[in-house]
Amino acid sequence: MFKLNLKIALRNLWKNKTSSFINVIGLAIGLAACLMLLLYVTYEWNFDKQGKESANVFTTMTNIFGDNGKTAVTFEGSTTAFGPAIKQGLPKLKYVARMDYGGKNLIANGQNAFKCKSKFAEPDILKMYDYQFIQGNPNTALNSPNSVIVTESTAKLLFGTTDVLNKIVRFKDQFDLNITGVIKDQPDNSSNKFDYLMPWSLYETVDESAKDLNWSNYSFITLIMLKNGANLDLVNQKIAQIEKKNNTDNQQSQVLFPLAKLHLYGQFDDGKSVGGAIEQIYLFVGLAFGILLIACINFMNMATAKSEKRAKEVGIKKTIGANRSSLIIQFLTESMMLTFIAVVFSIALLELFLPTFNNLLSIKLDISYFNSSSWFGILGIVIVTGLIAGSYPAFYLSSFNPIQTLKRKIKSKGFFSVSLRQVLVVGQFCFAIILIISTLVIYKQIQYIKNRPVGFDVNALVEMPQDGELKTKYDLLRSELLKSGAVTSMFQSSVSLSHHGRNFSGIAWEGMLKATNNQLFNRVITTYDFIKTNGIKLTDGRDFSENFASDTSAVMVSASAVKIFGYKNPVGKTITIFGDKFNIIGVFDDYVWDSPYKSNNPMVVFFDQKQTGNITMRLNESNSLQSNIETISRITKALNPAYPLEINFLNNVYAEKYNAEKTLGILSNLFGGLAIFVSCLGLFGLVTYSAEQRTKEFGVRKVLGASLFNLMQLLSLSFMKMIVVSMIIAIPLSYFLMNKWLIKFEFHTEISWWIMPLAGFGTLMMALITVSFQAYKTAKANPVDALKYE
Amino acid sequence: MIKIENLEKVYKTEEVETTALNGINLHVAAGEFVSIMGPSGCGKSTLLNVMGLLDKPESGSYKFIDTELLTLNDRERSNFRKKNMGFVFQNFNLIDELTVFENIELPLIYNKIPAAERKQLVNEIIERMNIVNRSGHFPQQLSGGQQQRVAVARALVTKPKLVLADEPTGNLDSSHGNEVMELLCELNETGTTIVMVTHSSHDASFSNRIINLKDGHVISEKINKSRNEELI
Repeated sequence: MFKLNLKIALRNLWKNKTSSFINVIGLAIGLAACLMLLLYVTYEWNFDKQGKESANVFTTMTNIFGDNGKTAVTFEGSTTAFGPAIKQGLPKLKYVARMDYGGKNLIANGQNAFKCKSKFAEPDILKMYDYQFIQGNPNTALNSPNSVIVTESTAKLLFGTTDVLNKIVRFKDQFDLNITGVIKDQPDNSSNKFDYLMPWSLYETVDESAKDLNWSNYSFITLIMLKNGANLDLVNQKIAQIEKKNNTDNQQSQVLFPLAKLHLYGQFDDGKSVGGAIEQIYLFVGLAFGILLIACINFMNMATAKSEKRAKEVGIKKTIGANRSSLIIQFLTESMMLTFIAVVFSIALLELFLPTFNNLLSIKLDISYFNSSSWFGILGIVIVTGLIAGSYPAFYLSSFNPIQTLKRKIKSKGFFSVSLRQVLVVGQFCFAIILIISTLVIYKQIQYIKNRPVGFDVNALVEMPQDGELKTKYDLLRSELLKSGAVTSMFQSSVSLSHHGRNFSGIAWEGMLKATNNQLFNRVITTYDFIKTNGIKLTDGRDFSENFASDTSAVMVSASAVKIFGYKNPVGKTITIFGDKFNIIGVFDDYVWDSPYKSNNPMVVFFDQKQTGNITMRLNESNSLQSNIETISRITKALNPAYPLEINFLNNVYAEKYNAEKTLGILSNLFGGLAIFVSCLGLFGLVTYSAEQRTKEFGVRKVLGASLFNLMQLLSLSFMKMIVVSMIIAIPLSYFLMNKWLIKFEFHTEISWWIMPLAGFGTLMMALITVSFQAYKTAKANPVDALKYE
Repeated sequence: MIKIENLEKVYKTEEVETTALNGINLHVAAGEFVSIMGPSGCGKSTLLNVMGLLDKPESGSYKFIDTELLTLNDRERSNFRKKNMGFVFQNFNLIDELTVFENIELPLIYNKIPAAERKQLVNEIIERMNIVNRSGHFPQQLSGGQQQRVAVARALVTKPKLVLADEPTGNLDSSHGNEVMELLCELNETGTTIVMVTHSSHDASFSNRIINLKDGHVISEKINKSRNEELI
């Protein structure tokens, strides 16, 4: 019997190719989109959850107090003294590892040097993360200061093999290190990813500030692993006590936060996690199931619409002896089979489009991010989809009375079936219209932020890290580059023009009312030609200059800083920073150096030739870009041969600031488009079916004199009505939702009035084209053919 | 074999009530071939549907070899039907997606006959119906007469005690119609009871007894002498 039902199902599929195509392909696209989004969600969700005991790993967050005892800023960072202190006083602690933030640093195999991600950490890190050692002993690998653990791909990059134990590599052209371990590469969804890992004991030599045990420099990470069943609140209370004993300055406090939650719940308000990327994850899960639901609705609609045809089969089978349950099983089998075929297609689609998807989002997703439980989940989705899609037709069709069906008395125009189908179609198009409007608003917001001036022209500027010899030979580099004509001016600075906050609050100004300042200021340290090179608008005073020896104790400040100081004539006034007095010599307009979505902190620019980090150059625009870059490369390479060249264009650096919202834009565009496509596919199927059913009626009408237009109108009108209803529901709803989204941004666009009619009209047009295509075909048919039908 | 007493059936719509069967009494003996005739709307199809357990009357009694059928529930009716009855319809009612062989096999599957036996039974009947070379075809590929023969084969394959035929020749031309009638006669001669609804007195002449209905009553009953003599 199963075999026979299967045969009937397959032959039915084959006979009704249009509807089968719509069912299978629509469902496959829906499932593929759903799986792709879920893959992305799985990737994000499993951030830092690779270790077996990842749930017990915590990172240390620092809260900086602002006005009225509230926490102004929370960030991942801790002091050098914190780790050793709580190791003594915290019984629930299992392991503790101090680390640096990591960076791209030079590693060489004797001949070739590469800049790879480096990390320093205490040996306990190896017990928190389950690194898989290909070679070496995890218990001793980080014991000696001159040891290094490399990842599989770093080993292959340096030596072409993973068989590299006890080989020597050179770090930063200064330290010879012995490879003591080779580990498997870590997945991309790991916050503490590195290409090579060195012991903290070496870091104390590399960076002297790491050696000094203090409670004031929050430039390090401390990872903690607690024992099973430790209560985080109690642990944090205990930590607060320990800190009080050791740290006399009560402007900050350090607390533990689950490492695996930091990626998705990294937004803090008054020291409490208030969400973060998790909101996008919810959005994507909603989108994933929304698209799947649209495809399921198509499936149900097609199945119920076809019920009249299938009714005859039901009638015959019932007279011959089938009972209701056997018919229900038959229809469910059919829908399960269709779902299964769709799943196979969807996995093929997923594999096919994953590389493109990865390219778009610049991530490396792989179907293997789905583990066995995810596959069970997918199987669950299939079964549920099959059940939902098949249940209505199964229970509805099997309830038909045999004689009625055989006499063709059943009209699928029963009140319930039609109204349900209408509700489903309206729901589908509501979703589609909301997606179109959201996409437009997101696009507009991205454009708005992109068009917001950053405060200077990013196009003629390039920058490179100030590595190795470039630190000591900066003046030589500068004179040679200026002489070559490739560069018109340049400066060195502690950070790139685009950077995250180097915040401090220890500042006082003339006439300050409060005893201590809580406002965070951003610090940049540079030398000559800062303003001349970057082209930021100087509103008052002057740039640092070689003509004034006194500039070592001078500062330039941003306009917003002047506002806080309350200075009328800022140039010549002084500010006091950590006890030292500085003269203000210039005021410049605020420019975008951190997130373009919110106003950045006021900025103070210091002068110090020893603070190196980054070199920014203005290219000579009378030469070609290529020759400028070649000249810079040649001169830099000659001065600093140990390091590979790394020239970045500032317009690229700034473009990256828009990445998070760009991802959202791409995803909403892509999946919004898919949702609309699948909805239209369903509409097409319904119209095709409705046209097929009414062929005879149309023939009669034509014989009686109906025009082509009359008939198209007849067929399209009922569908158009449903679209209009969807618009009425979806437009206010999406206006409300998108307003809520926009308000989250300090700088945001408005929802223009034209977006709503555009989205509505667009959808209506798309639906109309879909419907008319079939309506035209039917209406155009020869009336005699139509009458012969039956 | 069949004893029908005081059968009543009323169709109700919002505006009108139509009495389709108005106290019908009918006895059919085993091995009989009965034709039911009458004008459109006289209730003959309703009677056939009630006899086939496809429809439920309001009141009355329907005994099939001493079993009262009107008190059965849906599942029991369905079971009884598939074990004892076969149907032939005017519009054939073959399943378009199944081949000739599979269409004929279907009732055997519902009767849970093992596959090997099913194959044998279907092949036997296909041979008897003279449609061997059509067994792999789909219904649309056959002529009307051939389709009706397949339908008859499907009705017979379970060896039912009673075959109910609703205008079996209605959609056929006269030569194909005659073929089907001869088939039914042969079947009757091997002992199967047949009840047939027809408009055509030519078709009715193939049966033993002709019952005339009008407005839900039996108005006359006639023994078909010529046929009976033939049989003797």
